[in-house]
Amino acid sequence: MKLIIRLIFIGSITYFISPLAGWWMGMVAAFVVSFISPSSGLNAFISGFLGVGLVWMGHAWTLDVANDSVFSTKIVQILNQNDPIFLILSAGGIAGIAGGFSAITGTTFKALFVKPKKRSLYN
Amino acid sequence: MKTFKFVLSFIVTITIGVSLNTRIGAWPPLGKFLSPFHGFWQNAENEEIDLADEIELRNLNEPVNIFFDDLLIPHIYAKNEEDLFFSQGYITAYHRLWQMEFQLLLAEGRLSEILGDKYRGFDVLKNDREMRRIGLKYGAQVSHEQFKKEEKEAYKIIEAFTAGVNAYIESLSYKDFPIEYKLLDYKPEKWSPFKCFLVYTNMHNTLSKGEMDLEHTNALKKWGRDVFEILYPERPLEEKIDPVIPRGTEFDFDPIEIEKPAAAHPLAYTDPFLQKANPEVGSNNFVVNGSKTYNGKVILANEPDLTLNLPSLWYLIHLNGPKTNVMGATLPGSIGVGIGFNDSIAWGMTNAKRDLVDWYQIEFKDRSREEYLYNDNWVPTKKVVETFHVRGADVFYDTIVYTHHGPVVYDRNFGSERTEPQNLAMKWTAHLPSKELKVLYEANQAKNYTEFSDAFSGFTGPPFNFSFGSSSGDIGMLINGRFPVKWDEQGKFLLDGNNIEHEWQAFMPKSHNLSVKNPPQNFVSSANQHAADTTYPYYQYDHHYEYYRGRRINDRLRIMSNITAEDMMTLQHDNFNYNAFEALPMMLDSLDTATFTPREKEYYETLRNWDFFSEPEKKAPSMYQQWWRNLNNMLWDEIDSSDVKVYRPSWFNTVKILSQDTNFFMIDNQSSIEKETSGDLYRKTFKETVNELENYLKDPENSLVWYEFKNTTIAHLLDLSPFTFQEVKIGGDKSIVNAASGRAGPSWRMVVELGNDGVKAWGVYPGSQSGNPGNPTYGHMINDWASGEYYEMIFKREMNESEIKYNVKLIPN
Repeated sequence: MKLIIRLIFIGSITYFISPLAGWWMGMVAAFVVSFISPSSGLNAFISGFLGVGLVWMGHAWTLDVANDSVFSTKIVQILNQNDPIFLILSAGGIAGIAGGFSAITGTTFKALFVKPKKRSLYN
Repeated sequence: MKTFKFVLSFIVTITIGVSLNTRIGAWPPLGKFLSPFHGFWQNAENEEIDLADEIELRNLNEPVNIFFDDLLIPHIYAKNEEDLFFSQGYITAYHRLWQMEFQLLLAEGRLSEILGDKYRGFDVLKNDREMRRIGLKYGAQVSHEQFKKEEKEAYKIIEAFTAGVNAYIESLSYKDFPIEYKLLDYKPEKWSPFKCFLVYTNMHNTLSKGEMDLEHTNALKKWGRDVFEILYPERPLEEKIDPVIPRGTEFDFDPIEIEKPAAAHPLAYTDPFLQKANPEVGSNNFVVNGSKTYNGKVILANEPDLTLNLPSLWYLIHLNGPKTNVMGATLPGSIGVGIGFNDSIAWGMTNAKRDLVDWYQIEFKDRSREEYLYNDNWVPTKKVVETFHVRGADVFYDTIVYTHHGPVVYDRNFGSERTEPQNLAMKWTAHLPSKELKVLYEANQAKNYTEFSDAFSGFTGPPFNFSFGSSSGDIGMLINGRFPVKWDEQGKFLLDGNNIEHEWQAFMPKSHNLSVKNPPQNFVSSANQHAADTTYPYYQYDHHYEYYRGRRINDRLRIMSNITAEDMMTLQHDNFNYNAFEALPMMLDSLDTATFTPREKEYYETLRNWDFFSEPEKKAPSMYQQWWRNLNNMLWDEIDSSDVKVYRPSWFNTVKILSQDTNFFMIDNQSSIEKETSGDLYRKTFKETVNELENYLKDPENSLVWYEFKNTTIAHLLDLSPFTFQEVKIGGDKSIVNAASGRAGPSWRMVVELGNDGVKAWGVYPGSQSGNPGNPTYGHMINDWASGEYYEMIFKREMNESEIKYNVKLIPN
């Protein structure tokens, strides 16, 4: 459940703040959210990957549909590929990887400040 | 362990971030580029104009209203001149920012800053060095400095334009950059008045640099005078030359006389490797007066035939201010309108060809190159170290030595491996200070022939045949530019930098410039041909005058009457192939029809039945072109395989040699044992052509349909094929009035009708106002341009609601 909430936070920050900041805003979002709400590495990666990646992919897809893929069809040829889907998937993929690793960094950074709980003898 | 985990993931994350922000090989930085919030997706426009309805801007005095019509031509209504040109800068940048910057980086020799030392096999650094050495930047600096001092009022207009461009640039962030910046990963830089001057030296580079002085010297030394005269006569077949200024025009002035010196040209072999202008470029303009038109009005037509690129060379604009009300085509980066019309007049331009580049052989005192020999004295040189910030490589320095003649372009650092290093200084009118920007501004406001002629007589840029028509019924043609007075053949060959008599000694006074007003033939025309007949007292020379288009236009205009604007459009699209008309019959007559294979007979019949019109759907023009090409290859093998650089004679003179100089030694092909006559060449190359084309057709992709065979291509400036239009369905070719060849053609077609009740104009160009390949209109006029459609220009003091597609207000902040 916490994963879903983190994912939503990361995605929302990415979506709403990115237009005002650089392309790296998703990375910052994943880092900050995972710092505030730490988790296991894998957990953080998934929330960062999906949070940033899905927003990029979804937004790219929406823009592409609005444009009937006219422009992406030209751009994809310049990058020596054929199908504009390639651009939508790569946008999602690279954003996901960048977001995922930022999230891991956030959560491992937080871990530096958290003292490990002493185990009670009675537990 | 915790620290290790953090450090590891931190390093991985930073590495990912940095790599996605970095250009790797030819790939743009993927993070930035693919981001749907910032990258290329943001360049896909669904609206034709995506400016806000109201834009607040500093540096603006009063509100400015801009209306875009259906073609996205901006109609700018400003309350003062500075705001008007500020807005021109702002709007031009909105549509064409990348192009206006890129083409001037090219001219300034700075392209390697963004493209690196090579781009798609093109040697960018070498090109940059060449641009600096021939002095495009130098010439612009010289003009800029003088203009700033002497033309304070006009300079304000240039500053206003600059402020407008910069206001637009400042409003941009990465996501708004034109797509080319994103692909190449760089940023627009601030505009400056200097760049407006570069537009004109760049124009010089296209239009006034054409020369073959060094090739001539090679040919003269190699073959001697008699052969030289057969290859490169100044006026072959005088009776066929139909000059810009009609024969019989009287020249009533006392020319400046200059003695031809006794000392001959230095006869030295050199290897001229500077790039030549595209040989396919040229232009036509023609004007008819009321006695030739159906409604008694003047009609003017013009089209500059230049290299066809996207974003287009021209940008259409209507400027309306307290002093100015003018519309037409402008070069992005220049102020005002270049070719257009106002309430009272219309004007057009074609290149007035003249040899304006001369080469001087320089002798340095020693290796330090501190001094050179001039008039038998050692005179100091000036050295300028040019810096090239090559992207992805070390900074490159190039020392350019200047003499009083001009920059020493060819020297030990910039020479050919084929010959000994030569020191050759370039003398060129583009290096002299010039005030085209002011002239243009004044001419835009001219109301009649006198004002127009006064304004353009001060034009010292690349020479043009300025055609003129007015609503009061006058027509005219004025040839203006800066012309050195030359003795016979001065500068046609290499000159001696030491000999004071080899220098340019005077410039032609403005009052001796050629012009004609309301000639008895009731029309004027120009198409890059000879300027005047032989009674003109000044020596006029160029190596590549046009021989076909001008004759066709004049043949037609002489017999046309009751002319309408549509007739003028039809004449602009005339596909009559004058070269084929004069060459093909003699070629066909020599063939031995008895020995034809069925295939050869088929080609023969097609060519025999051809009416010489190079229409887009015909096959004969393709067959003829290939045959003519093969014939020239076989004929000019001595020239192509020469050990020193020479060049092929013009097509016109080639036809003359083949038909009249039948004993000329070059007609014999070197690679065969027997001695060929011109008839042998036709027969051999005909067979060769048929075989070659039949082989070509084995690939089902290939075709002989003229427009497909010719493949008129309108290429994006970066040579990106998805942004390029190929096989545009248009007829014509080089040396045909409809001059659409493979890579050049009518870059702006304009027809203007002028009468007492106002001005009506039509125009079209192969491209779109928007330079953005992601705009829905990108290249939208190309098909209409090809098929002969024109758009009526909206030119009014006040526009109707229905004519306005978008309205943008610029408001002072």
